[in-house]
Amino acid sequence: MSMFRAKKLDLGCFINIKTIRDHSKRKAFAQHEPERQALRYIIRNTTLPARTRAEAQLQLTRMHCYTRPTQIRGRCLLGGKGRGILRDFKMSRYNFRMQALEGNIPGVQKASW
Amino acid sequence: MSRPNMIRPIRHALLRQLAQQPRNALAGFLSTRSQSTTVADNVKPGPPQLVNELPDPREENETRLPRAVQALYLQPLRREAEYGVPSCDLQLRSFSIPNLEFFCDFAIRAAYYLGLPAFGPVPLPKITERWTVPRSHFIFKKSQENFERITRRRLIQIRDGHPETVQIWLAFLQKHAHYGIGMKANIWEYGKLEIGKQMDGELKSMQEVIEQKMEHLGRDKTLGTVEKVKELLASERFRHTR
Amino acid sequence: MAAVPRARLLDLMKVQCQIFSTTYNPDGIRTGNKILRQRLRGPTLAKYYPPRGPTINTLEKEFKPWNLETINEQEEDRQEHLAGVRSRGKGAPKKKRTAPAATDKKR
Repeated sequence: MSMFRAKKLDLGCFINIKTIRDHSKRKAFAQHEPERQALRYIIRNTTLPARTRAEAQLQLTRMHCYTRPTQIRGRCLLGGKGRGILRDFKMSRYNFRMQALEGNIPGVQKASW
Repeated sequence: MSRPNMIRPIRHALLRQLAQQPRNALAGFLSTRSQSTTVADNVKPGPPQLVNELPDPREENETRLPRAVQALYLQPLRREAEYGVPSCDLQLRSFSIPNLEFFCDFAIRAAYYLGLPAFGPVPLPKITERWTVPRSHFIFKKSQENFERITRRRLIQIRDGHPETVQIWLAFLQKHAHYGIGMKANIWEYGKLEIGKQMDGELKSMQEVIEQKMEHLGRDKTLGTVEKVKELLASERFRHTR
Repeated sequence: MAAVPRARLLDLMKVQCQIFSTTYNPDGIRTGNKILRQRLRGPTLAKYYPPRGPTINTLEKEFKPWNLETINEQEEDRQEHLAGVRSRGKGAPKKKRTAPAATDKKR
């Protein structure tokens, strides 16, 4: 884990150990994505010999968990919360509500119809 | 210009507009040529005036505003399209309406001065996104609050426009973009049937320009996978299997 | 309607693929090309958190060789507070150089 973490903190939002870890995972994924996609392609290509495909499968499982896209989780920018996040605003529902009532989110208003 | 001189043309213009035809719709071919005039043209036989307008003796000797500035106080002028073939579709999106309408107006006036027949602004259906969020930061799911975000859209279509002129118009709008408005344009160009041969002939000379533009399309982002595949298949582990 | 022989249909598919520059795969073999066509989403995911912006501290460090005076209000307030605390004798204790000796009086 420590091999992927940045030497100098490069987050501008709420700082939390979970947030730092999520950021490291995102960076690691971005770095290794071509390799992962290449291995996935080799596994799925039925025209290649079976041994190649098996080797690719092994290599894919041996990659570090930080490079997997499924480990990435959306977090609230203001509170660092991992649950109840709205993707459009990158905020947890309570924070979104507070900011929307203040008027800090452009275009969002209280709905009534 | 002193203040009273500016106000007088507005008064005339506003009074004249009461007798004008309504704003033209996209389907219609009516062209509203709003006449921005001063006292001298009052004699012309136009649509019947609803208000009694007598020539003001004070105004006879005063200088008037430039015609382009006078036109600003009136509905935008539009060019006529001879064939009606769409050349460019500009969609403007915003959360606030006065903002949006002002910029649409600006775009149509700019199109007139560039000689492009502009049609619109056509209001497209609103896009409403809704979110329901609990009021509290912990439990109490039963009391929630609704929020929405409404995106208003307008469409301006240009017909029979020369592709270069259309690009100039779009660049002008981008340069003077109003805050809070997103723009997206679809452009159509027409060529002859032998377009394939023509493009093959131009390929060599256009190679550099094409490469520069292709970088923007992000094609190299998928090529990363292909290069990695080649690298992996050539590596030691996989060479044994071949 | 008489059924068209498969060979003719394959020829037609071949010509279509030639014209529209698509891949010719009559048996529908899984080649895994759809993964090559996928857009890479690494960069977009990596930009989720906003980057750290410049602060007065960064400016101070940047312009140190120029010998310019920077007024960092927060830092000055903190120093004043610490000075007050120390004058009352409530400041932080001195750091011990050696490790504290393990005291096992009674187990």
